Amino acid sequence: MSRTKRSRRNVTLLVCYGLIALFMIFFLFPPYWMAITSFKTNQEIEGLKGIPFFIQEGATLRHYRDLFAKTDFLIYFQNSVMVTIPVVLLSMVISVLAAYSLSRLGFAGAGVIGTAVFLVYLVPDSLLFIPLFKIVGWLGLLNSKWVLVLVYPAAIVPFCTWLLIGYFASIPKELDEAALVDGANHSQMLLRIFLPVAVPGLIAATIFAFTVSWSGFLIPLAFLFSSDQQVLTTGTVTSLIKGDVYHWGGLMAGALLACLPPVLLYVFLMDYYISGLTAGSTKG
Amino acid sequence: MSSHGSVADVVPAARVRPARRGLRVRLRSRSAIGIFMCLPLIGLIGGLVVYPFFYSIYLSMLNKRETAFVGLANFHYLLSQDTFWMVLRFSFIFTFLAVLWKAILGFTLALVIHTLPTRGQRIWRGLSLIPWVMPLALSSLGWWWIYEPTHSALNWILVLVGVSPKPWLSDPYWAKFSVILVNIWYGTPFFMITYLAGLKSIPQELFESAAIDGAGPAQRLRFIMLPMLKNIIAITMLFSTIVTLATFDIVRVLTRGGPRQSTHLFGTYAFELGIATGDVPLGAAVSLFMFPILAVSAFFILRGIRESTA
Amino acid sequence: MTVQTRRNFLRATAAGAAAASVVGFPQVARAQTKLTFGLWDHWVPGANDVLKGIVMEWGKSNRVDIGIDFITSIGNKLDLTAAAEYRAGSGHDIITLGTWNPTLYKDKLEPVSDVADTLIKQYGKFQENATYLNFQDGRWVTLPAPIGSHTYPLETRMDYWKQHAGIDVQALFPPDVKKRDKKKIEAWDWKMFLAGAKKVHAAGFPIGCSIAENTDSNDWLGPLFASHGVFPIDEKGNITIESDATLQVIEYLKELTKYMPKDIYGWDDASNNRWLISGKGSAIFNPPSAWTVAKRDQPAVAAQVWHHDAPRGPKARFRGALPFSWGIWKWSKNKQAAKDLLLYLSTKDVQWKLITASQGYDYPALPAFFTHPIWAEIEPPRGGQYNYPVRGDEKLIVAGWPAKQEYGVQIYYKWLLPTMVGKVTSGGTAPKEAVKWAAKELEGYKSR
Repeated sequence: MSRTKRSRRNVTLLVCYGLIALFMIFFLFPPYWMAITSFKTNQEIEGLKGIPFFIQEGATLRHYRDLFAKTDFLIYFQNSVMVTIPVVLLSMVISVLAAYSLSRLGFAGAGVIGTAVFLVYLVPDSLLFIPLFKIVGWLGLLNSKWVLVLVYPAAIVPFCTWLLIGYFASIPKELDEAALVDGANHSQMLLRIFLPVAVPGLIAATIFAFTVSWSGFLIPLAFLFSSDQQVLTTGTVTSLIKGDVYHWGGLMAGALLACLPPVLLYVFLMDYYISGLTAGSTKG
Repeated sequence: MSSHGSVADVVPAARVRPARRGLRVRLRSRSAIGIFMCLPLIGLIGGLVVYPFFYSIYLSMLNKRETAFVGLANFHYLLSQDTFWMVLRFSFIFTFLAVLWKAILGFTLALVIHTLPTRGQRIWRGLSLIPWVMPLALSSLGWWWIYEPTHSALNWILVLVGVSPKPWLSDPYWAKFSVILVNIWYGTPFFMITYLAGLKSIPQELFESAAIDGAGPAQRLRFIMLPMLKNIIAITMLFSTIVTLATFDIVRVLTRGGPRQSTHLFGTYAFELGIATGDVPLGAAVSLFMFPILAVSAFFILRGIRESTA
Repeated sequence: MTVQTRRNFLRATAAGAAAASVVGFPQVARAQTKLTFGLWDHWVPGANDVLKGIVMEWGKSNRVDIGIDFITSIGNKLDLTAAAEYRAGSGHDIITLGTWNPTLYKDKLEPVSDVADTLIKQYGKFQENATYLNFQDGRWVTLPAPIGSHTYPLETRMDYWKQHAGIDVQALFPPDVKKRDKKKIEAWDWKMFLAGAKKVHAAGFPIGCSIAENTDSNDWLGPLFASHGVFPIDEKGNITIESDATLQVIEYLKELTKYMPKDIYGWDDASNNRWLISGKGSAIFNPPSAWTVAKRDQPAVAAQVWHHDAPRGPKARFRGALPFSWGIWKWSKNKQAAKDLLLYLSTKDVQWKLITASQGYDYPALPAFFTHPIWAEIEPPRGGQYNYPVRGDEKLIVAGWPAKQEYGVQIYYKWLLPTMVGKVTSGGTAPKEAVKWAAKELEGYKSR
């Protein structure tokens, strides 16, 4: 590279890193603030003196200790996990089957169902939860965490199906025919040919399913009452805000811990997720 | 429909290997399997989305006590209420501004990261996604603490640099700004990642030949990147419009729709009417107002997707 | 307690007779009754456990198998629970209902007039406020719950007010009703409050009263307007908000809000607590929850907090209140057991224990229980909570009273008063405009 080109490149990089710094401050300030607050003593949180960005009166693990000792935080965590795993599995199975059938097994009405699936994605939670009270009550699932295993897939499956259809549709039809000639039935085709090719899409869909299930708030808020049925999002908020008293230290600690699993999962699967988004579609 | 003289005529169908069957029989069983595979999806969505949706429509046409059918009276009532017009207006402003800025910021960041040497991109990609990955209800709580009048970190910084502290949540203008800001914070990463993927999919040759032709960065942006990414930009924005319009958590946690109902969106207003005042038919009517807008957006998305895959 | 003992006896005999008539395993023959109870999740540490202990013990001695859930009121969770159970037609047998919920769900609630009448006969009438919310259409649709109900006196930093405003609230409202100086208390009106607010503001310790979409706002604005004779809709259903008195109050508020932080328009229910606890605030309208947290975290602040009467208006003296209720759903299979439990929990002995457990926060619905010693004794400062139960001439009110409850719930939860006032004091609207807007809103409420 010539001198001028190099210096121009350097200037460009400088500008880029400058912008990145700004974005990082914007994106990461809230989690940083939450973390700092979770390590401050109550007095420091509620008092008004000094610099709020650093811990002045000594860091404390008290909020974290209290979180585990005095609240049902572990139960909430457990519930979230117990709900999320079946939700993800169920959603993936339903989506994969539906995506396969809609993209490959052309049958009368496939187009209609495909469009309907997409339209369903438009219906928001806030419209549905009141009518759902009746259905859920009838099923006897009111106040049971298993209601989430029923309701979350309904929110996840439309998007995942749509995503996977995009992947499956890109698999050339010749592969199908070759397999059929070789005597493969549909389940073998699905398992041996389609799924391996669509792995990025599957991972993307799984992460989406996990995120929706883990972060859900309105649905568990509406349907779960007992403390032992609560999931992380609602449990943290409802057990650490009492009457008009907010336990900020505990709240921030709980909120941070609740954010860890999705962050860890995503860091682990990040590359797949990103490549999984080049085909298929988007949300945001 | 079996082909003549095939083994199928003699041997019971179940025992015949698929390859031996005739093509048309095969097609029919494909249909059956297809529908069978779709059944869980249909059942789930039919029971938990479609039925409640239609039940909502029914509810929206009842009187408050839910004893009589009143047709479109609730919708009429809403249109006569100042508060509802405020909700309508802000829902549009919120969605428009949030989506616009998410797209601009997302694209900018994607471009910036794309410009970096490939090895160095990973970490910024990763860190940028944190806002989107954190459960929104909980990160909204974090933001609330940042805006909280008595203890606001933001105001502390402002005072430090000599600017007067802002009433983030207590003044209608600033409250609107605050909720839009949180939505932008939450949604930009996703735009960024989508656009980044899109940028990476643009063939390098295009850039190389443009460089040979003497095109500068601005021209590369205008003539190569934007046209190539046109579809993806449009689709992301339309999808985001749908999701942003349905925002609930952010407003519910930060302002509960205040001050003076200035930050209510359809979802939060419906919730307040339905649960706090017990007027479920009215709440349902508010939620349903979203529908024409979403349906129009959906129409454009579907058309856009069909065109881009054609 | 005679009533309860008699009922216990009858039930025990019945159960015994039933058991005797069945041949087979003794456990099955006992025919255990089951009850599920949705209780409000008390924020005072330890209060839940005491209540649970009492309920479970009752269950054991009455052979009732009780399941308890503590449900928070945060995020409208308690309201959501009631709405969910109402629509699903299933859920707890007994449910705690927030302030206006009895109105919303009365058609599926089992009347508890027998329990209420028994309590009235024994302890005297319930407060008018509680009666308004629980007695509708000629019957007690729910029972006033002693747990969770609270009122909004002034929680004042007596040191700031004494030093800067020259008003000694401790002397004005002593921890002994006999020592009250009626004349001086008569002079404690909104004008005096404004004068004091001005002075403490000048000294750097403003009062803080929320004017936003939260219950705190209704719970001081309602009494303020009422004390001037302003009620948005009267008991006959007339919209009476457009009046000179309303304009008078709005002018007053224009002045008063000058001496409050601008943030009050975005406050939530806990903001005024934080304001007081931080040491900056000098007075808030609040139940003792702020004091309790200050006691734990900022004891120097807590030691200076005095609870006392609200200021008087030209027409009367009102104080805000938020009563909770206990309701029994119609589909409950054990209504009698439920009623017995509620009756038991409302009796004096049990109440005595519960009030102690709540550190005085739970406001009794029966004035007969104001003699509990905790309010005089809890400290610091000693006697600071004595005036939490109404000792003087304050009337308790929920904004919306005395309108028909269906209108009242809308006046309250559509935030009519805070919005109307906020339009003027923060939004710059002309008072007449704001009042006209309120009248139009009220017409809309009536048409629902």
